[in-house]
Amino acid sequence: MKILLIEDEPSLREIIRRFLEKERYIVEEAAGYYEALLKTEDHGYDCILLDIMLPDGNGLKLLEHLKNEGRRENVIIISARDSLDDKLEGLGLGADDYLPKPFHLAELGARIKSVTRRNNNNGEMEIKAGNVTILPEKFEVRVNSENIELNRKEYDILAYFMGRINHIVDKESLAESVWGDNMDQADNFDFIYAQVKNLRKKLREAGASLEIKTIYGFGYKMTVEE
Amino acid sequence: MKLVNRITYRLSAALLILFAVWGALFYFIMIEEINDEADDTLEDYSEVIISRKRRGIDMPGYGNGTNNQHYIMEVSEKYAEKYKKDRFSDEMVYIKEKEETEPARVLKTIFEDEDGRFYELTVSIPTIEKDDLKATILSWMIILYGVLLAAIVIINAIVSHNSLKPLYKLLGWLDGYRLGKSGVPLDNETSVTEFRKLNEAVKRNTERNEKMYEQQKEFISNASHELQTPLAVCRNRLEMLAEDNRLTEEQLEELGKTMQSVDGMIKLNKTLLLLTKIENGQFPEISEISVNRLAEKTVEDYSEIFSYKNISFVLRETAEFTIEMNETLASVMISNLIKNAFLHTADNGEIIIDISSDSFIISNTSHGTPLDREKIFKRFYKKAGNEKSTGLGLSLSASVCARYGLTLEYSFEKNMHIFKIISKK
Repeated sequence: MKILLIEDEPSLREIIRRFLEKERYIVEEAAGYYEALLKTEDHGYDCILLDIMLPDGNGLKLLEHLKNEGRRENVIIISARDSLDDKLEGLGLGADDYLPKPFHLAELGARIKSVTRRNNNNGEMEIKAGNVTILPEKFEVRVNSENIELNRKEYDILAYFMGRINHIVDKESLAESVWGDNMDQADNFDFIYAQVKNLRKKLREAGASLEIKTIYGFGYKMTVEE
Repeated sequence: MKLVNRITYRLSAALLILFAVWGALFYFIMIEEINDEADDTLEDYSEVIISRKRRGIDMPGYGNGTNNQHYIMEVSEKYAEKYKKDRFSDEMVYIKEKEETEPARVLKTIFEDEDGRFYELTVSIPTIEKDDLKATILSWMIILYGVLLAAIVIINAIVSHNSLKPLYKLLGWLDGYRLGKSGVPLDNETSVTEFRKLNEAVKRNTERNEKMYEQQKEFISNASHELQTPLAVCRNRLEMLAEDNRLTEEQLEELGKTMQSVDGMIKLNKTLLLLTKIENGQFPEISEISVNRLAEKTVEDYSEIFSYKNISFVLRETAEFTIEMNETLASVMISNLIKNAFLHTADNGEIIIDISSDSFIISNTSHGTPLDREKIFKRFYKKAGNEKSTGLGLSLSASVCARYGLTLEYSFEKNMHIFKIISKK
């Protein structure tokens, strides 16, 4: 899959490129508005990561241009401005997602997967890893095509992990994503341990090939057993 | 104390001294004048008597209605030599005709007759009652003082009402003035130089403050925005590094701690941006928010997270409390207070939320000491040793409350911290 990364900050561009290449994407870079414009005119991409504050133009204009041309690329806006207006404008112009900086790379990976999958499957969404499948629209989880019962929090945690297979997930990010914002000051993550423990048990009992590893000092990492 | 009252007090004190001095002076001058007149009369009278005596004519008799008296006494030459000068004095004299004692002016003078014998002549004429005079002067002084005082109060009121109008208008404007909120411009035309200068000084100062405030806001906003990218780079590089399989467990742990600090910075930066946005009024959308439902939902989230603290929780709702405000900000305002309560309640403590139609009150068990009311709503105020806190939570709540004209108060009762949001409907 080919991704165009439009980002003016060289250091950030480099690190995102390295991450995406590790995820086996083919990455093209553009440092500014006109470079991006030229690249999009010459090539097609599966996904475009678009910084909207560019030194020589507004990313939203580029988005508008692409949509006017009838292009079908998935666009994820990455912006330093965490503003609702920008988000609404971006999504209104046809962007598929909006990710405010600073973000976690694993989060970016999950979003890219999510938008490209949306495109490929044409509606019928499925998230697969090992022998586990999630059907997000039905809130169903299957292990070897057999349904297993999870409570809401366990389901959210599983979905979060499955979007980030092989990536370290820190517990603060997990808490924020599953329990909502403002978890920043929790000084005790017992509530996560309890849910993760239950989830592990249920997965093991169902014979899932997924494993949730504890990374000391960080959080967790989900891996697929060979 | 109002300026008018102060002027009145000062004037009345000054007048009191002035009147006392003037009253005394007036009295003495008057007495002097009266004595002078009496003495002239006495001298004339004594001359008449002396010339009659020398010529052997009858003395003027009594009972002529003047109440004047005289008598002559022969004295030795030595005595005459000693009291050569005329002597005036005030004495009480018995008046035979009236058969009573009255104050009188008395003249004693020595004269010599043709035979060379010395006599002392004493003449007296009744004079005024000095005590009466004193009392009269005093009472009239008091009346005059009272009248003048009343006049001063009235004049002061009128003068200050008219001449000090620009001053009161300026004060009124200053009372209504809030830094960073564009209110009505100062419109205070006056021909009085002092007031005009005062107006100009106030205008200049407020303009300078506005400018500095704007610059400060802009600085915080710019700094936070500029920090976003390096922070993003920092976090993402650490993430990449953490996924390197060659790392040992110890290295990974170190990395984890570094990551937590970076995350802390990111959070702080985001909060600062949020504060700036609130103060810049960048949350214009308004809807009707039910504080009850917001509180219920928030409490549900937090009680799970803080379940290890074993906090008992009570929610008392006597009515529905609704506010017209931005949804995001409402959530910021309420959740920060609730989070704060959960965070700072001791294990096995208690949290009580009371919601009425115009107030939201959250109380939580304290560790025994009240918080510093002056400082808790200030940015970056936090207790020592609380690394995770940004010190901005309460400041955020206060900012939102200020934006919507809500009052946020802190009090400490029965070992409980109490935060109140009150709506002035």
